[in-house]
Amino acid sequence: MTAESPRTGLADSLLRQIAEALATLHAKGTRDAIDLRSLPLTAADRAELEEALGRGEVSARLEIAGQSELWETAYAGVWWLRHMGVGDQVAAESIEITPLPDLLASHPDDIGLAAARLTAELQDKAEEARHV
Amino acid sequence: MSDPGTIGAALAAQGISRRSLLKYTAYLASVLALPPMASRAMAEALANTKRQSVIWLSFQECTGCTESLTRSFSPTLEDMIFNLISLDYHETLMAASGDAAEAAMQAAREANKGKFVLVVDGSVSTGANGIYSTNHGKTNLETLKEVAADAAAVLSVGTCAAFGGIPYAKPNPTGAVPVSEIVTDKPVVNIPGCPPIPEAIAATVAYFVTFGKLPELDHLHRPKSFFGDTIHDRCYRRPFYDKGQFAKSFDDEGARAGWCLYELGCKGPVTYNACATTKWNGGVSFPIQSGHGCLGCSEPGFWDRGSFYKPLSAAVMGNRTLIGGAALAGVAAGAASVALARKRRQAALAEQAAAQKKAQEKTE
Repeated sequence: MTAESPRTGLADSLLRQIAEALATLHAKGTRDAIDLRSLPLTAADRAELEEALGRGEVSARLEIAGQSELWETAYAGVWWLRHMGVGDQVAAESIEITPLPDLLASHPDDIGLAAARLTAELQDKAEEARHV
Repeated sequence: MSDPGTIGAALAAQGISRRSLLKYTAYLASVLALPPMASRAMAEALANTKRQSVIWLSFQECTGCTESLTRSFSPTLEDMIFNLISLDYHETLMAASGDAAEAAMQAAREANKGKFVLVVDGSVSTGANGIYSTNHGKTNLETLKEVAADAAAVLSVGTCAAFGGIPYAKPNPTGAVPVSEIVTDKPVVNIPGCPPIPEAIAATVAYFVTFGKLPELDHLHRPKSFFGDTIHDRCYRRPFYDKGQFAKSFDDEGARAGWCLYELGCKGPVTYNACATTKWNGGVSFPIQSGHGCLGCSEPGFWDRGSFYKPLSAAVMGNRTLIGGAALAGVAAGAASVALARKRRQAALAEQAAAQKKAQEKTE
């Protein structure tokens, strides 16, 4: 395929949608998300959108069931999430309008397990120290 | 904390954080065309759900459907489906064999009576009472009737199970039929394709586990989220079709420039599947992107519907009214096939609307 990737104007529409969702987040605290994978974005549209939103202060790389990359765009509260699947292809990609994506926060169940694990490890160490 | 026996507990026992589940549900919401905000609720629901018992039966098939689901290069997002299900019987994948394997299936059937999902790949032989395909002393026909009676739902995976596929092709020596001709008293979901798209298999099962019901289906009982559009509707070569730019042979300038493969026999305009968007091998490519037209493998009777290398206006997937149209060139020929696809879709939608109205009237 050698045909050039055209700009369709979808990036402009998305920017308006994001602006509206961001204003709603500020006014009412309502979170929103846009699934980029389901939209017929061309490579040029995607690049245009990424450039327009820019990069902000926070970025994170996650190693869970394949790689994920998250970053806050230059607009606070607008996050870009990119999940990779087989062969490092993009499996899912979305923009979340939220103070913090759920994926970054520790889940209460994981916190509970971590607390139990850390307590057990400290008890083991104390036990070892008594036998020395 | 998740209850013992739940998916959340199983993940925790493997040291897998809940972030994995959240990532997987974000992916599922995307492939199932659900609102992206649904992923959070899906993750919570899945964490507190027991792993879904799945019994997988293989009949007259080539194992390509199993390959489609299991073939991946590294533990990734797409493998997460295996954390949601308990694959209690699968002849090719299970360690047990012979009597031990059959005992495992029996135990799973009894423990999950009315709750397990039955996946079938392959068509069902009915000729000579089904004797052409047997396992453990029973015909596939007998096994299907017995096991389906205890299932919550049946997933016919692959074109052979969904529509008969290649065993069903003329002259059909084994009397092959699709699963839906045998199982008539249970919900049957068809996930056709030769092989089917693995995401379509996994997401349909995951949807059932999450919501406790089947996803919305089309008139051929295919999940609409994967089979709602034709390949042609979502094909990246579509702009060339619209401009009337068609490759005339597989190695001409048009083919090299990525022009539409309609005149080389592409069946994309009458084939409903997600190949053009979900693609294959983790989104690397799909047949049209690799330079070959769509064969229409997820449609009923695809093997008997004329040449793979003649344009639709000549072969027309069984519609003889357009035969002779091969002389039509460019946009005119394309427009005819699109009209055919649209007509077919409108007919299907009308049929569905009528069925919904009927069901509503019945409820009232």
